[in-house]
Amino acid sequence: MSDHLSPALLSSLADAELTPAQRAIAEAHLAECPSCTSSALFHSLLKSATARAGQRYSLPPGFEERLVRTARRESPASEASPPNAALRAAKTFAFAGWAAAIALLLISGSIFVVERNSHRIALESSQTASLATEACDQHLATLAANLPPQVLSSDRHTVKPWFQGKLPFSFNLPENLPDDTKLEGANLTYLHNQPSALLLYSIGKHRASVFVSQKTSANISDGFRAEHSGFHVAGFTSEDLEVVAVSDVDPARLSNLVDLIRQAQSGTLPLKQ
Amino acid sequence: MERKSYSGYSMTLLPWKRAAQKSGPQTSAFEDLALPLLPSLYNVAFWLSRNAADAEDLVQETYLKSLRGFGAFEPGTNFKAWIFRILRNTYLTSRTGLATRNTVALEDELSGGFDSGAALHPESAIDRQTPEMNLIGLGDRAALQAAMEQLPPPLLEVILLCDMEEMKYKDIAVALDVPIGTVMSRIARARAALRESLKASNFLSRGVRA
Repeated sequence: MSDHLSPALLSSLADAELTPAQRAIAEAHLAECPSCTSSALFHSLLKSATARAGQRYSLPPGFEERLVRTARRESPASEASPPNAALRAAKTFAFAGWAAAIALLLISGSIFVVERNSHRIALESSQTASLATEACDQHLATLAANLPPQVLSSDRHTVKPWFQGKLPFSFNLPENLPDDTKLEGANLTYLHNQPSALLLYSIGKHRASVFVSQKTSANISDGFRAEHSGFHVAGFTSEDLEVVAVSDVDPARLSNLVDLIRQAQSGTLPLKQ
Repeated sequence: MERKSYSGYSMTLLPWKRAAQKSGPQTSAFEDLALPLLPSLYNVAFWLSRNAADAEDLVQETYLKSLRGFGAFEPGTNFKAWIFRILRNTYLTSRTGLATRNTVALEDELSGGFDSGAALHPESAIDRQTPEMNLIGLGDRAALQAAMEQLPPPLLEVILLCDMEEMKYKDIAVALDVPIGTVMSRIARARAALRESLKASNFLSRGVRA
């Protein structure tokens, strides 16, 4: 048993995180121990000094406005209920804009349709790029961590049941894989803030990460292919699932794996609430 | 062991499932909660990424991810901890975050707990007028900021959330996705590291003056 208060206890004291009982013990000790009192004072001074020193960087001018504009473009439904007076004014302006847009539609409906479609395509393209980036980052992180999968098995009858209760959907794994392709295991992860299954495959000496998520919006188009930082990204959407695969293996072999996973999904049903 | 993780995931995922099926993102409510936190998010993002462009990208990605996932946020829980968790996860999967995560080794636990003070605080090592206390007393902000810059990211982020954002340990644990004991040990280690850095910089500056 020590005669002095530990650094963790002194920190908790400065942060007001001690229970009443711990605080009483600490205060009783401080009343008799000048060195710990000095140290407690140091922690308290350091905390307030760090709080001041940490306030170092301010938002760049115009950043908040740009960010809000970007977010509203990505989520048009947001303009239905702005939160404050400024946004109510924006809503009024938006209504005027819609009225003008409707008038313009009456004059030149075909042009409006073309512009709407191009906007949707741009939005889908942005969402696809964002999803590919996040999938590649997670693939890299998984490789770099070099940890065993949360479920370490090449048996699809072991890997699939492992996700029961962990994911609000189910999926199938292909039974027959090419000779050089092997299921190494799987992890539970999050992709685009949604719980997803991360299936880890080896294709020859290459590694492939396959993310299986529940389909909530059209993040990717069916049969989409992309390149990102030298990695090949391929995916598909079914009625209920969204699947994205990432690897540096030859695109044809990655596509072959993706196609096998797609074929295995027939009969897969989402879990009902 | 597996049974424990099963129940843990069930408790968090099923509310997500229910929330995800509600009607689209409630952007106005989201903006009410998120916009006041932008300065804090940017400040922490800049500290972690160390440059303005990366900080802007990090905050923008965090904001958009949070908006998309806002249906999963449970009203009544701590929004600040929730959005800082998204910021931190976004940072960890960024190129900078991956690089630092792969180069920093961190011992999460202090040797011993609340009772282990003697080894780290020998009587002779504590003085009311230590050099680092003088520095802090003089408000040497530059020295402290330099010391903070030397902290490894896991210690820097915990000290920023604790001291600057005034978050409680339980909320920091949510934001960093670590046990509360790890939060406590990291804060103690961060302060010990700051103390050592301040002491070293004081000795150095006194040496230069001499």
